[in-house]
Amino acid sequence: MSAVRRAKASGHPGRDAFSETWNEPTGFPGGMATVDNFQIGVRFLVTSFSFFLVAGAFALLMRVQLARADNDFLGPDVYNRLFTMHGTVMMYLFAVPFQEGMAAVLLPWMLGGRDLAFPRLTAFSYWVFLFSGLIFFSGFLFDAVADVGWFAYTPLSAPAFAANGIDFWVVGLGAAEVAGIAAGSELAVSILRLRAPGMALHRMPLYAWAWLATAVMIVFAFTTLLIATLLLELDHDLGTRFFDDQRGGNHLLWQHLFWFFGHPEVYIIFLPATGVVSMIVGAFAGRIVGYTWIVVAILLTGFLSFGLWVHHMYTTGLPELSLYFFAGASLMIAIASGVQIFAWIASLWRRRPVLAAPLLFVLGFVFIFVLGGLTGVMVAVVPFDLQVHDTYFLVAHFHYVLIGGAVFPMMGGVYYWLPKFCGRMPNERLGKWSFWLTFLGFNATFFPMHVMGLLGMPRRVYTYPASLGIEGYNLFATVGAFVLAAGFAAFVINVLYALRYGAEASQNPWGGDSLEWALPSPPNFALYPRLPTISSRHPLWQQETDSSLDHPWQHVVEALDHRPEEWRATLLVDMISGEPQAIARLAQPSYMPLVASVGIVLVTVGTIAKLFLLIPVGVLISVAALFKWHWPSRTELELMRTSSLPKETGLPIFTTGSNSLGWMGMLFVVAVLGWSVGTLLYSYFYLRLYSDEWPQGGLPLPDRLLPAAMFAAIGLAAAAFGWAWSSFRAAHKLRSMVGLAAGIALLASFLVVHVVQLSREEFTPQTNAYGSIFFVLSWTVDLVVLIGLGMAAMTMARAWLEGKHWQLFLALSVQMTAHYGYFAAGVAAVVYGTLYLSPYGI
Amino acid sequence: MRIAVAQWHVGVALLAAVFLAGCAGESNQSAMDPAGPAAAEIAWLWWIMFWVFTAVFVLVMLLLLGALYGKRDRSNDDQAQPPLGPNGFIVAGGFLLPIMVVTPLYLLSLKTSASIGPPREALTVRIVGHMWWWEVRYPEQDIVTANEIHIPAGQPVRLELASADVIHSFWAPRLHGKRDLIPGVENVFWIEADEPGIFRGQCAEYCGTQHANMAFQVIALPADEFDAWLAERSNPAVDPAVAQARRGFEVFMSAGCAQCHAVRGTPANGNVGPDLSHIGSRQMIGAAMLSNTRGNLMGWIADPQAIKPGVKMPRTYLDGDSLLALVVYLEGLR
Repeated sequence: MSAVRRAKASGHPGRDAFSETWNEPTGFPGGMATVDNFQIGVRFLVTSFSFFLVAGAFALLMRVQLARADNDFLGPDVYNRLFTMHGTVMMYLFAVPFQEGMAAVLLPWMLGGRDLAFPRLTAFSYWVFLFSGLIFFSGFLFDAVADVGWFAYTPLSAPAFAANGIDFWVVGLGAAEVAGIAAGSELAVSILRLRAPGMALHRMPLYAWAWLATAVMIVFAFTTLLIATLLLELDHDLGTRFFDDQRGGNHLLWQHLFWFFGHPEVYIIFLPATGVVSMIVGAFAGRIVGYTWIVVAILLTGFLSFGLWVHHMYTTGLPELSLYFFAGASLMIAIASGVQIFAWIASLWRRRPVLAAPLLFVLGFVFIFVLGGLTGVMVAVVPFDLQVHDTYFLVAHFHYVLIGGAVFPMMGGVYYWLPKFCGRMPNERLGKWSFWLTFLGFNATFFPMHVMGLLGMPRRVYTYPASLGIEGYNLFATVGAFVLAAGFAAFVINVLYALRYGAEASQNPWGGDSLEWALPSPPNFALYPRLPTISSRHPLWQQETDSSLDHPWQHVVEALDHRPEEWRATLLVDMISGEPQAIARLAQPSYMPLVASVGIVLVTVGTIAKLFLLIPVGVLISVAALFKWHWPSRTELELMRTSSLPKETGLPIFTTGSNSLGWMGMLFVVAVLGWSVGTLLYSYFYLRLYSDEWPQGGLPLPDRLLPAAMFAAIGLAAAAFGWAWSSFRAAHKLRSMVGLAAGIALLASFLVVHVVQLSREEFTPQTNAYGSIFFVLSWTVDLVVLIGLGMAAMTMARAWLEGKHWQLFLALSVQMTAHYGYFAAGVAAVVYGTLYLSPYGI
Repeated sequence: MRIAVAQWHVGVALLAAVFLAGCAGESNQSAMDPAGPAAAEIAWLWWIMFWVFTAVFVLVMLLLLGALYGKRDRSNDDQAQPPLGPNGFIVAGGFLLPIMVVTPLYLLSLKTSASIGPPREALTVRIVGHMWWWEVRYPEQDIVTANEIHIPAGQPVRLELASADVIHSFWAPRLHGKRDLIPGVENVFWIEADEPGIFRGQCAEYCGTQHANMAFQVIALPADEFDAWLAERSNPAVDPAVAQARRGFEVFMSAGCAQCHAVRGTPANGNVGPDLSHIGSRQMIGAAMLSNTRGNLMGWIADPQAIKPGVKMPRTYLDGDSLLALVVYLEGLR
């Protein structure tokens, strides 16, 4: 593929240089350094689909076991591991990463940028994802596979009951979350800032809208789970007491945190799929009506999905009033989903569409998803859920929602975009076969499960007695599962067939409206050597009427045609209006993402194998790689400085604040850290709410004064960084450096005193849940401070080395340090108030 | 889409089959075959939802077919609009339809919840979940048993739910929905059976290896029989009369059984496994896995791991005579 995609030499020297700059290393080991969104996206797709096939095979084994009553094909140990891994792999290693891979490829194509915002982060995300999958599966080599379910309820997953398989599960999951958060942040920034000139928010393809909501949801939902799994792993490795009910821990805390992630997760999987559906419906119907309705529905779904988590906990004995709050919110989701469904039907009303494979999968999606949505409303009804919760009715419901709501659109999407990926068409006849086998097999497998649940079959049972009268349904479902598997096999064969023998595809075989259909198939590395201009919602349909020469940003596009030649850049636009704001540099290929992810692997291996010395080694490698990754190349900086593009376009290259990708990236780092702190604060007050005494175990109230002085140092450091930034803007380099140095000194002294103070507390993280949350919150402050120290130190080091152009090159660094400092001060204030003041009152 | 429609008929037929079948298997555990007031209310709610949602589903599918195949004004084929125009169609289908369906449903579910609320005063039974069996206590009557919950028919029974290890969930579908047993949390639930009978239930929250075989029976007795049962159960075990049973008691005490099991009125007071004071009168063993016959009991004692892999009870190494004597003793504990 790389040979095809190598940018074609045009005989024009500038163009050759441009192509050379954008060429990606291939082969081994060069390919390991690639940062190209297409290559990495395809890696995501292939890797996650492989995981899907393995988890699907697990499901077939489970169906064989359940085909007969009192069957002993697998036995409980194997069965329980398989259902745990099936759910875990499908949710964490397939559903989200597959769609992230698709988004990584499609979003720059659709939005008209030359790559994603943080190309190296794309690579990092992939490597961490790949390693997380390998960690999950390596449990099989050591006969240490988790058997606690994908939801890992405590105390079954806590130290008292869980075997060592849980380490592979928790640590693998932690890595998968890091990968997901990285991808989510990157996609959000890319959608917000890297669009073609003129692509205002209201002209953005619906797929991008769906991903904008999803990416933000990923950041918050995955961070919550990251903290939950961290607490669980600390219970295992450090002996903390978060989930030890004898020592003040609370099992419902896990359920709250897990479902605060787990419910949005369903919509994280579903929303991008609705984006795919909107694109396919648009192409096949030749229009999309209700664009604004769909956008509002997407945002409403994303927002509401965070207010539903308790509907997974109706049977835990929570107060009924609170249940009805969540039931109400759950039912409102029906409106958001209904709007999208009816908008698609209204769009299709236009003409008799060709029933090609992509549309067939969309129609199958509507059929299945409407059924799954309706049973979803049923299970949100509190009394009915008391019966069907944790039964096969639920298994049926969520497979309708997840396979119908996400896998069908994904398969349709693969058929739809495959011609763009490889320049060849899938086989239509085989496509129809794959659809009907999948559709019929799916319904045959999962429809009877509704009935099985109502007849009293609980979930997660490895066997059932013949006397329950559910054997016939089970046998039917097992047969259906093999038909479904045949459908997936036909799909795989079709894709492989298309890659090699497919008929040559035209540029826009389905008549799509979005920008990617104007690209060659497959596109060049730089995607858009000449950036497109946008003046409508459907650029490809309105090409003829659109006289692009009149476009207000024509001169910018002309200036950037096959330029800059020696460094990678794309346009950064205003979030709302899509007007160009700056020329954004994009990173070159690098091995550092791989090295940083290897550092993370060392941390995970150290955790699993209890070789705790490996952990600091891994952290050190990752941090070093991160510094090298972000250290700008001097030659590149010089090229950027001397570029004539700002003069020609009127757009800056060196920017600060929200007009710079770096600052946007930091915004997401701060969001992740802030949300982590928020999750821990929630845990603190949750534990306190269900404790008879606080502090627990008769511990004394914390001292208020010394910590106040200590935490105030963080505020002073923030003030020093702020002063450094204002001095910087006033062109006082020396004062600015003094400010940074003062801040560094303050933060460092905080760390030293804090560590000493913690070591002198009369309790430890192991004492009780109060001690655990106290220490973990304190360490989180330390982490926030350390990151600030790192940023300030890197800025100072660069200031030391930069010559006369320091004002140009360093502005962003100093500004980010200052803004991060404010955030750190905020965290310090809130944590101080919680740990040291709240026990006295509130 | 023609096949899609056919598929839908298969679906209706499947559900209709269930509806007609009513009683599903011999140890029926069907939520749609209620035998108590709470389960009846929920089943009623289910059938309302079933018919309303079936109508909604059919409507949406018809609209989808209309979109694909509906009659078009040929002259204006490329600009056909759905009924009510695009915006009207989306508002009607996406807003009004869900609101019209969901609002009454929400109110109805509130009403159902209110009518299946817990009783004011009732007999209290304490259920403690263990991996993978149910400890059943009658605190007011000082009775301890396992896996079989005797209740008076026609009267509500209050359940105190607790767990000795991990999270379990109590679920007797023909009597009520489910409620979790969570370590560190005291949950309260209730059940009622309209008529005397045996109602199977099982753990509904995954709780480890043998979650699938953590079942129980609710045995509803006529009020007078229940009182008699209570009276009988309050007595400690009587000394075995037969010599073989006396030998069995010695085996029980010497082979290690007593370390985990209790028999009231004897020194055996282990609390790891079920209380065996009245094991002879239980209908099932192994948490409602096997009927309580001599053969099953002997097989269970000899090698429980073969029957219920992972169960906490180890296999025992007894010669045939000792095993038989032990079983005779246990059968005598009535």
